[in-house]
Amino acid sequence: MYIPITVDHIARVEGKGGIEIVTSDEGVKEVKLNIIEGPRFFEAITIGKKLEEALAIYPRVCSFCAASHKLTALEAAEKAIGFTPRPEIQDLRELLYMGDTIESHALHLYLLVLPDYLGYSSPLAMVDKYKKEIEYAMALKNIGSKIMDYLGSRAIHQENAVLGGFGKLPTKAQFEELKRELKEALPLAEYTVELFSKLEQYEEVTDDEMVHMAVKPRNDVYGIYGDYIKVSDGFEFPVEDYKKHIVEKVVEHSFAKHSFYRGKPFMVGAISRIVNNADLLYGKAKELYTQYKDLLRYNNCFANNFAQAIEVVYFIERAIDIIDDTLAKWPVKERDEVEIKDGFGVSITEAPRGLLVYALEVRGGRVNYADIITPTAMNLAIMERHVRMMAENHWQDDPERLKLLAEMTVRAYDPCISCSVHVVRL
Amino acid sequence: MSEKVRIGFYALTSCYGCQLQMAMMDEILHLLDKAEIECWFMVERDSDEDREVDIAFIEGSVSTQEEVELVKKIREKARIVVAVGACATQGGVQSWGKDKELSELWKIVYGDAHVKFEPKMAEPVEKYIKVDYKLYGCPPEKKDFLYALGTFLVGSWPEDIDYPVCVECRLRGNPCILIEKGEPCLGPVTVAGCDARCPGFNVACIGCRGAVGYDVAWFDSLALEFKKKGFTKEEILERMKIFNAHNPKLEEMVNKIFEEGE
Repeated sequence: MYIPITVDHIARVEGKGGIEIVTSDEGVKEVKLNIIEGPRFFEAITIGKKLEEALAIYPRVCSFCAASHKLTALEAAEKAIGFTPRPEIQDLRELLYMGDTIESHALHLYLLVLPDYLGYSSPLAMVDKYKKEIEYAMALKNIGSKIMDYLGSRAIHQENAVLGGFGKLPTKAQFEELKRELKEALPLAEYTVELFSKLEQYEEVTDDEMVHMAVKPRNDVYGIYGDYIKVSDGFEFPVEDYKKHIVEKVVEHSFAKHSFYRGKPFMVGAISRIVNNADLLYGKAKELYTQYKDLLRYNNCFANNFAQAIEVVYFIERAIDIIDDTLAKWPVKERDEVEIKDGFGVSITEAPRGLLVYALEVRGGRVNYADIITPTAMNLAIMERHVRMMAENHWQDDPERLKLLAEMTVRAYDPCISCSVHVVRL
Repeated sequence: MSEKVRIGFYALTSCYGCQLQMAMMDEILHLLDKAEIECWFMVERDSDEDREVDIAFIEGSVSTQEEVELVKKIREKARIVVAVGACATQGGVQSWGKDKELSELWKIVYGDAHVKFEPKMAEPVEKYIKVDYKLYGCPPEKKDFLYALGTFLVGSWPEDIDYPVCVECRLRGNPCILIEKGEPCLGPVTVAGCDARCPGFNVACIGCRGAVGYDVAWFDSLALEFKKKGFTKEEILERMKIFNAHNPKLEEMVNKIFEEGE
């Protein structure tokens, strides 16, 4: 009689989930990621509601990537009502989005991942010995937050991003301040790459069959928005066809559905973006990519941590470029009038953790249909597969060691469990 | 105080934003020599919900049967219970669906599929246990956390805010979005403390800090003003309920305006 090895509540991830590993004399019988956070029915509660009010609610799906939810929902809504934002507004939205990504990656890398590798239970315990790392984490997080404060109204649940543009734009002086601080943050981000290049990527989960999905960036610049999805097997499809290629199923042990591409699990996230779009990187990030190519492995989920470190460098440089472009066009008008017409729109963007899908139908100024698929929901199936691989290699070890390795595997995906429990109409 | 204050931060069903807000404060590092974190899964792997604590911060709405049991357990183990953020204090935006039955929401989202957990309609923490203090907001401001922690650490307690966001708009000199633009700003009935953050960005307040307590949230007066601006009763109720779906007086007060004047 074997007692299942369980982690009731995975620590240092966003949201509430657990791991259950059932073993017998022969080996691992069952591995489940239990998603135990309650459902919030986002699509259902916003159906029939006014579009603007629904848009204010969508960011509440998740705090770590609130800006991603807001901006993806906004793009889907604007496509639905037939509105195209001005290029400078589009750029500033991308800048806001990057603030979210920089902050989210910094928090994940330093506060959620690093303690495992250094043998601490929490980042707070690291303060005495790793003062520099904690300071860097805070500084990188702060620049991401500041971009969101100035452009989004706050770092969590940005109310300033609205249909047609922004309620109010930062002043020229505030943009200059952001640029100065981004420049100061760049060496910190480069240090992060160096630090994370030394961390082990566990061979136990090497998976040569891994398939990665990412947005094909607009204008051929590595980034967040696009109209097509690239798959690492060479296939591409327009975002409107997402339902044909991302197939969701309900599983009993989770309030979140699992997603499949051609019947198999797939991965989304920082490493998936690099696998699909590395040729579009430029600047310092391109140099670092070339230097560390061997660590940016398509077949190991632990490479996702390192990919995030490279992306922090990239998005800092890219954010500086966007600010320069904005200041060159200054003054910029914050908002255009929109007319709320009937229609249907799909937006898929690159949230910090990977593809985020919003499909909205607007009728009579209200949301008539909503479908949201989050990156973590897409990753759950493949995450479970890799936790299983880890368990198959360590099921006879000390259960505490297996628990830690299983948790580290989950943490490599940077899961956002609140996000995944939103769930979609079948 | 020579001994460290034992703190727990517990999550129910939420977006984790309240915890994130607290974890992101640079000042959190100054807290470490004064406090012992007994349970805070988001940052501390060595966390245990069964440990006794001096202060329990709870974020999220009660949305499953398991969470009902959890809040009861926390209440038993904690000297002080603080409900943090819109979900814990008001049931959160997930309560906006209260106009539909749980079974209907379930069907829209999961179809006929079955999972092994038992969901419930989202409720504020107070529905199940006694709450000592509340921090309002979606998410609360950093200064809300600092103020509460600061008072607790010196053996005092945080005072409630009993005035609306409008006060802060006037102090900042913002133009009035409701009067001047005719937009449905909920500032007049919403707890202040955010320094009128959204109106400061020319965005109408959606009421994330919840209705002002002490019976001074005059939904009726505001509904009358909205009505004059051309909003229907349905529109007014919907907007006020985004963050106040559980408010016992809201519906009655708004109805009154429409009964009298029709």
